[in-house]
Amino acid sequence: MPAGRVERVGGSRWSIPNSQPAQPLSAWMRALAGVCVLVLLAATLEVVLDGALGHAPLIPRSPAVSRWLVGIGERLGYRVFLIALLSFTAAYGGLLALARRLPARWVIALVLALNLIVCAGPILFSTDVFSYIAYARMGLLHGINPYLHGPHTIKSDAIYTYVGPDWLRTATAYGPVYTLLFSYPLVPLGLKGALWAMKLEALLASAATLALTWRCARQRGIDPVPALLAVGANPLYVLYALGGAHNDLVMNAFMMGAVTLTLAGRDAPAAISVVAGALVKTVAAALLPFMLLARRRTATIWGVLGAIALAAVVTIPIFGVRGLDIIAALNRDAKLVSTDSFATEIAHLFGKPGVFPIDHDLLKLALVAIVAHLLWRTWRGYDWVAASGWTLLAIAVTSTWLLAWYTLWSLPLAVVTRDRRLLIATLGVQVLFIAHQTSPLFSVVSK
Amino acid sequence: MSDSSASIPRASVWERLPERLRPRERELRGRGDLRRIESTLLALAFVLLAIAVVNDVVLSTHVAYRITADLRTYRRLTGHETYHNISVEQDLVHHTSRDVLCGNTAPGPPGALPQICLILTGPVRHGERASHGGFYLPPYTRDKRISRYGCFGSAVREELCAAAIPPGALHAPVPGADG
Repeated sequence: MPAGRVERVGGSRWSIPNSQPAQPLSAWMRALAGVCVLVLLAATLEVVLDGALGHAPLIPRSPAVSRWLVGIGERLGYRVFLIALLSFTAAYGGLLALARRLPARWVIALVLALNLIVCAGPILFSTDVFSYIAYARMGLLHGINPYLHGPHTIKSDAIYTYVGPDWLRTATAYGPVYTLLFSYPLVPLGLKGALWAMKLEALLASAATLALTWRCARQRGIDPVPALLAVGANPLYVLYALGGAHNDLVMNAFMMGAVTLTLAGRDAPAAISVVAGALVKTVAAALLPFMLLARRRTATIWGVLGAIALAAVVTIPIFGVRGLDIIAALNRDAKLVSTDSFATEIAHLFGKPGVFPIDHDLLKLALVAIVAHLLWRTWRGYDWVAASGWTLLAIAVTSTWLLAWYTLWSLPLAVVTRDRRLLIATLGVQVLFIAHQTSPLFSVVSK
Repeated sequence: MSDSSASIPRASVWERLPERLRPRERELRGRGDLRRIESTLLALAFVLLAIAVVNDVVLSTHVAYRITADLRTYRRLTGHETYHNISVEQDLVHHTSRDVLCGNTAPGPPGALPQICLILTGPVRHGERASHGGFYLPPYTRDKRISRYGCFGSAVREELCAAAIPPGALHAPVPGADG
């Protein structure tokens, strides 16, 4: 039974409705929790309704998928967004502090509402989803290999104008499982249909991640309600990952599937799930060495080899070897630099204009040292799920290309481990990321 | 938990290793030294990142404050009080506060007409900054020495212009920015 929670009726690993907190909320806690819930919902609605008006500095150009929401809000500006984000974050922190006392039904209803509100609205803060659709249309409608060419090869296609200018000449960095199973089947739906389907995919992947997080927490004797709240009501998860319909959610679902299967002793399917996740987004492969070291089962190796062989047989005839060339994708991404990366911020701190090639090498060295330490600790009995989470967090922190949703990779793993430092570190990194976004609040350039 | 699959290699193989190298199912409860070292390193790393973030936010705030003053100065000196599409180029190489602002010499689509550029330096005083020079650029041209003409003020001394003044083109120094 999870700590700090009692079951009215004996439940399975999935059971939800009857679990009650051992310590109920006092009157003032109930009031505080109510206010926090209202703030979360209001902040989400504000961003979605304002974003529905269309193209703004924070809202990418998009086919009109949320026209039915137009007329209620005003065009989304930096100041309003940042106030909403900071309010959301503060309310999330407040709810996390009370999480052990919150009824499960409250939390599930809140997370469901947040997920649905964002899914009903426009695409927020990123053009990535248009790249996903563009790569799929390149392959299916134009016969162009998305692993060799960028969307600039389909200038006549309707999706072209929506793809971010930085990515027009970039071949896809996403794995063939994502391309073949999660984006190609959406092409016949047309542009708007595919966009809605992408949003639905993100919602379903989020639901799967959250359900598996719940199950893993219960299997490990951890209270699933704070775990669900920490992931499902996280500001970066709701507004950025779900709002942008990012495929990181699909990857997270495969990762949590792997953890669940491992906890059930099903090593081969667990290994297959990790490989599938890595063939959505490469970074999921970070789980494999820790799983192998901790489990030390032949089934894990067979699962990995089988999944890679199957992927090769299916994808090489379609995309060529580039479809499985994870190293090339990683090397290309490692060269990118974003202003939000901690590497850039530290460079500025030391008076440098940005990161240099030597900095890339130093960061890689630091990452290798961290991973080596974690591998050794896993070999000597440290929780492999926590070690995987630390690795994903280290990849995000040492990357010169950091985006909001990268800080979410370690979050579902962090809430199902007993090493609380991982959750604290993940949330700490997210707080720093959010803090870095706030400069327009103090300094709006008056045009 | 079912555990049907075989371990690799069998447990006996691992037992041949010295105890300190053998794999373990669970960590031993030690004195907590390793955990203390890890936690200290994590805390130090977090402090470094936090300082870097605060420093970046302060830098951005200062830059935005400076650019606001730049725009105000440009509009006053050029007399184009209603211009919105003024480009600002910062000195990202040497990290100085020297900015170059360019805008159309007459109302029109952004960059479609000859550009007048002002060099702004120094601290913000009374909401504006000092301009001691500038130059002109042809329409739709990137700011490079080979394209600049009609230098005035400090731009003449710095030899920023390499292009000849096009026939009939405006090239008069901007009053208040001519050094």
